[in-house]
Amino acid sequence: MPETAIEVDALTRDYGPLRAVDGISFSVAPGEVFGFLGPNGAGKTTTVRMLTTILTPTSGSARIFGHDVSHDSYQARLQFGVVPEESNIFTELSAWDNLMFSARLYQVPRGERERRAEELLRMFDLWDKRDEKTQVFSRGMRRKVTIAMSLIHTPRLLFLDEPTSGLDVQSTRAIHDQVRALNQAGMTIFLTTHRLEEANSLCHRIAIIDHGRLAATDTPANLRAIMRQVQSVEVQIEGVGADDIKALGSAAGVTRLVRQGQMLRLYTSDPVSTIRAILEYADRNGRTVNSLAAGGPSLEDVFLYLTGGAAAIGGETPASQMANAAGNGRSK
Amino acid sequence: MTLGSIWARTRRELSQMLAITVKDIRVYYLSPPMVMFGLLMPFLMFFSFSVSRGLSVGVSVARLLAITTFFTASSAGPVILPMERKTRSYERMLVAPVSIFSILFGKAMVGAAFGLAVSLLTLVVAALALGAPLASLVGLLLAMILASISFSAMGLLFALWPTDSATPVGSTMMPATLIRWPLMFISGVFVPLDQMSPVLRVISYISPLTYTQDLMNHTVLGHGLQSQALDWVVLLASTGVFLVVTFWFDRIQKRRGY
Repeated sequence: MPETAIEVDALTRDYGPLRAVDGISFSVAPGEVFGFLGPNGAGKTTTVRMLTTILTPTSGSARIFGHDVSHDSYQARLQFGVVPEESNIFTELSAWDNLMFSARLYQVPRGERERRAEELLRMFDLWDKRDEKTQVFSRGMRRKVTIAMSLIHTPRLLFLDEPTSGLDVQSTRAIHDQVRALNQAGMTIFLTTHRLEEANSLCHRIAIIDHGRLAATDTPANLRAIMRQVQSVEVQIEGVGADDIKALGSAAGVTRLVRQGQMLRLYTSDPVSTIRAILEYADRNGRTVNSLAAGGPSLEDVFLYLTGGAAAIGGETPASQMANAAGNGRSK
Repeated sequence: MTLGSIWARTRRELSQMLAITVKDIRVYYLSPPMVMFGLLMPFLMFFSFSVSRGLSVGVSVARLLAITTFFTASSAGPVILPMERKTRSYERMLVAPVSIFSILFGKAMVGAAFGLAVSLLTLVVAALALGAPLASLVGLLLAMILASISFSAMGLLFALWPTDSATPVGSTMMPATLIRWPLMFISGVFVPLDQMSPVLRVISYISPLTYTQDLMNHTVLGHGLQSQALDWVVLLASTGVFLVVTFWFDRIQKRRGY
């Protein structure tokens, strides 16, 4: 049986009456960049905390390179490094001292410690600032120190929990480049994010989680195809009335129309045709379009679509496609 | 498990424990709450309740040593752990291949070293400047070491009191102080045991500080109210109890998710 980097089976975590993670199962292959995508509060961080042995699962199991996180946590911890959502460095210490502490904690051999720390600080452009206390560092620099600390023992697997949250474009790009470089060097990456584009650009496979449940695990290309089904166009028409809603609801490509105040949101599989139809309608009927915009799907939309809630968002799941073909009509 | 692997594991855990202790000493010793609660408070208490009461040098020194080991050593835990839980830097240790025993014992050593350093300084000043009598210097040093470890473990217990979320330093330090202050008044520190009412005296036997004060009296003055052996046994046992309860609290916290 081939070795897996992460093997999760029916993992569940309750906080009192609240089920934060609900029986999720998945596996990650060695050398893979695996994205864990979901909105805030979906259960991403709770899952990472269970996989990294901080939190005890309520039920289910998880293995890191074959080591059970509950029963063989010491061996499991040797395999991974963790970059939590908040940079948890010791701000009273310098970047160098933070790395040295981490090296001692992971028992990196004495001769190896300094060489590895220098290599990492140079890799993250922090070598010149190695002796400065990290409390004067910017958010991006602290993030880099956090990542460097988690790499000091050269782990086989790296957990990155929202690694670019709150960072500027330049720092985000630098971290993305490092993630790619680490992966190319053979490291398995488990990346949690709530940003679709981040998961798209970095991951080989993505799992989508919401309300503690996994909706899908697939490649970015396949998920993008699904996401195309739940695109929408937002239009604001001056003095919009019932006739406008009725007419636009049956415009080209529209599967569902939702009114949000003066704004109409039209779910469509073909935004270009829908925009063209809206403009033609406005022109033909002398209506004034105040604003018009095409929007990508929200994670919530994608999740609802994948879990069969297409009726709520207008997309056509395999189930609803069959129903539509049978003449049940579209959800409007 | 072979003897070699046990030795390797022990060496590794000791090394990790030392790394945690040294890091905490560098990070927290001069932090304002440590200076306030660990350094200034015991001297403030001593000068408020002991000076100008016609006490002999020996009694004053025994009293001051008991207060400093007690207050200083037990201050570290309630300062360090809430700070680290708030910044989530505590989790950096939890995800590393280190046993929870090494993490907590490493942190207990921080308070113990702090308590011991401050009380040693007090002892040096008392012996040199005031010419305090010392009935048993070795006994006194051992008592200071054991008391520092015991009270540092007590501080950890306050710090790991199970809560639903990470609490700020003040929210841990205030209850810890509210428990520690009355202990000083029922433990024979300010009011000698033989001058207490029978009810209060019975209560005083629950407090480990009672046995520490009595040990200080034995080793500084050459006499105490109880058997010195009893003082040692109770202080050793209370250290064990504090550590066991601290580990138990940590397990509860882990189940709750820190």
